[in-house]
Amino acid sequence: MAAVLAAPMSRIRSRGWGGRIGYLVLAAALIYMIVLPLYRLQSLAFADGARGYTSQYGRDDIGEVIWTTVQLAFFSLVIAMVLGTILAFATSRLPRKFAFLRIVPVLPIVLPAVANVVGWAFLLSPGPGYLNAAMRHLPWWNHLESGPIDIYTPTWIIILTGFGLTSFVYLFVSAGMASISAEHLEAAQTSGSSTIGVFFRVVLPLLRPSLIYGGGVALLLGLGQFTGPLLLGSNTGVKVLTTEMYRRVSESPSDFAAAAAAGSPLVVLGLVVVLGQKLLLGDQTRFVTHGGKAFKSAPVRSRWAVATIVVYGIVALVLPLIGLILVALTPYWSSSISWGLLTLDNFRTLFQTSDIMDSVVTSVVASSIAVLFCVPIGFMIANLLVRGRRYPVIRLVADLVSALPLGIPAVIFGVGFLLTYTEPPIILYGTRTVIVLVYIVLMIPFATRLQMTALLALGETYIEASATSGASSFTTNVRIILPLMRPAILSAVALMFILLTHEFAASLLVRSPTTQVMGTRLYDLWANGSYPLVAAMALLMTAVTGLGVALAMLIGGRNVLDNL
Amino acid sequence: MSGITISNLTKRFGSNTIVDDLELTIDEGEFVVLLGPSGCGKTTTLRCLAGLETPEGGTISFGDRTVFDAKTHTDVATHRRNIGMIFQSYALWPHMTVRDNIGYPLKVRRKKEALRSGAVDKAAAMVDTGHLLDRYPSQLSGGQQQRVAVARGLVAEPDLVLFDEPLSNLDARLRDQVRTQIHQLHQRLGFSAVFVTHDQSEAFALGDRLAIMKDGRLEQCDTPQRVFDEPGSDYVAAFIGMGNRLVLTRHHEGWQTANGDVLDLGSRSPERGGADEIIARLRPADLHLHRAVEDAPHGSTVLHATLVTTEFGGRHYDVLVDVAGERLTLQADTREHGAWLPTAEEGAPVVVSFNPTDVRTYAADPARSAERESVAV
Repeated sequence: MAAVLAAPMSRIRSRGWGGRIGYLVLAAALIYMIVLPLYRLQSLAFADGARGYTSQYGRDDIGEVIWTTVQLAFFSLVIAMVLGTILAFATSRLPRKFAFLRIVPVLPIVLPAVANVVGWAFLLSPGPGYLNAAMRHLPWWNHLESGPIDIYTPTWIIILTGFGLTSFVYLFVSAGMASISAEHLEAAQTSGSSTIGVFFRVVLPLLRPSLIYGGGVALLLGLGQFTGPLLLGSNTGVKVLTTEMYRRVSESPSDFAAAAAAGSPLVVLGLVVVLGQKLLLGDQTRFVTHGGKAFKSAPVRSRWAVATIVVYGIVALVLPLIGLILVALTPYWSSSISWGLLTLDNFRTLFQTSDIMDSVVTSVVASSIAVLFCVPIGFMIANLLVRGRRYPVIRLVADLVSALPLGIPAVIFGVGFLLTYTEPPIILYGTRTVIVLVYIVLMIPFATRLQMTALLALGETYIEASATSGASSFTTNVRIILPLMRPAILSAVALMFILLTHEFAASLLVRSPTTQVMGTRLYDLWANGSYPLVAAMALLMTAVTGLGVALAMLIGGRNVLDNL
Repeated sequence: MSGITISNLTKRFGSNTIVDDLELTIDEGEFVVLLGPSGCGKTTTLRCLAGLETPEGGTISFGDRTVFDAKTHTDVATHRRNIGMIFQSYALWPHMTVRDNIGYPLKVRRKKEALRSGAVDKAAAMVDTGHLLDRYPSQLSGGQQQRVAVARGLVAEPDLVLFDEPLSNLDARLRDQVRTQIHQLHQRLGFSAVFVTHDQSEAFALGDRLAIMKDGRLEQCDTPQRVFDEPGSDYVAAFIGMGNRLVLTRHHEGWQTANGDVLDLGSRSPERGGADEIIARLRPADLHLHRAVEDAPHGSTVLHATLVTTEFGGRHYDVLVDVAGERLTLQADTREHGAWLPTAEEGAPVVVSFNPTDVRTYAADPARSAERESVAV
């Protein structure tokens, strides 16, 4: 049966050995870049009678670390799933004049995770947090010296992480919603269902595949969460597996074996999820067709949708930005704002500090180069996955390996790259090259999946029409496929640029004191307690990302972000 | 170029044999229609001709040039076969104007001379799309898009033009227009063509020859007139519009229906010594409805039936009657039967007559008649 399904998909083949050799080289490169660092970590952890494992898992607090990790992942997943689904449904029900609000659920992606976390710290830190200070004016809290909220506790780390994951869940769910035709909803409404009835009886069941897929990704991201626990939990003793890995590498002497062992549960889980998705979804994803009218045109417009999205936008974007802006404009961070003392000095300091400016350049250059490499690599992998039916083994390998960086936390790749490239034969420690390499690896899943979706959506006939018109596959690629995929490629470029200029976890491990990126430099400022500079730096990061996105929109049209 | 030869062509998907040892020749300038229900292998055959599928066995030659030979592993790439193809979904590239779409086969084949001498404009004018050259496909109607696609398929004067159900996505009126246009173009330009369809009226209108396929094999290959007059098998008869089917058994005075009518099939009666059970095939238009046996014309063969349903169709009623458990459809003139038919009740006894020369008979084959059910058109 599978073969019959496969039949109409069989492609214009490259009829020689050229294709096979090219794909073999590609698969070998992927294995070298992605699998080798993971392999080296494990072989180290198992060395000396698995000393890494005994050292890491013999500790008293290991149970607590794992329990915190699981709690963090589970509860932030719940928050993200609920919010992401509600947001996706709400955006589909926006009244026409509020249609511009559709951009709101993806906008928080432009705000770097580190900026978001420190922004909330400025608001909800028990002592000088602005929101806490404001709440202490309330009659029932006016006896408090600090609080009432303590952002440095696991509960609030979970809430913030959940908020951070919401945009990801939203992307998956809204993509799923786009494939539900308006007729399905209208049929339910004309059968007498209310909005809530439609949601629970029709929308949710139809969304199940996207929810499972998006939930799987969000769970992995939650398990690999690093930024929140590190920035907020370090001083209060909140430990998760990823922060343990970082601690084992950054303490002196660094213990790579123990760090590798600490990451193993996350690697195993990532592998399980990646393989599981292949088994469960398999080739089905290749036959997704988006028939019918788009979901958008549901006739009942809901006012609650506007309210929901506006509230989300305020909480996820506006509030942390306000926190950042206030702190960035003050000479020192305290609970009371002295409006007369507001100053731009922090930005001046930022621009005058050469190593901070260097970190901006490094971020932009490394991200841009990585994106430039990722687009063609992703295009080749996508081509292999969509059309490489005559290379089943290479294709399977490429499929699994290219999905790994999405399943395995960035911290682990950071440790793996640090280990691999501080030792012969290739020593790259302290160079921008190692940052570029790890960035390429992190972005391969995005470059591949986004272009693969576009290739699948393109279908076969445009390509067959070109071949029957007498065009070689090279000409077809250049004249037909690439122009038609331009919007998708630009979306992928914009997304990868955003994610990379925000990159923190892997960068923190492969950076050196002299080669920093924006996120790691911000972390150093945070660790030193230079809070006003942290705020200014976070805003600068946001601005750099914003400029990149604006550039992408300028080239690719305004809907570059819509395609995400 | 002197014609296309397909021999022993076999294509499998997994364990399913889609095209089974197929033999077919297409003379130069001939318009061959591959006709059959979905899944009969007609599209796969077309795609093998285009080089979009790689067959497991057989050979395909364009004139004396072998483009595919399983034994010698010859498999000329699609873009080197000098063909033109028109797709069901039009497949006009949305990022190119009509002019660029039509000019593409000339450009990629480096036919600069043709491009300079206005071949694109000529091809567009041929299909009445000369005024649309600077538009994008999304600005065209379905019919216009398909005409542009036809121009693109023909512009480079390929050795063979392949049509993959090109009219299926068009609504009925446009379908007739584009069909007529394709027919005129073929008469004028005389290209060799293979046209895939499941629509018998398209096949009759366009084909110099019809190749009716079943289970990956040719069931009958002949001129439209011959196929219409003498369907080679029960399967072909059913497919080209002889939807009415009666099982008859041998009787000493002729052939008997299950409800006891004895029919004289005249010259269409199979010879003695043949099968004792036959299938009779009749077109709905060849059956006539009467209230009583006396109303039937002299010399016609008469069946007793009961009325099932009547649908108003303008000049005629579409009538469904039951003859010994078999459902027959026929058309009854509104003026002739308007007085009684609309008010006649279900189960009312009626009489159906036909001219014995209009019937076609085939040896009954239980396995085949079961298959036919899935082919009902």
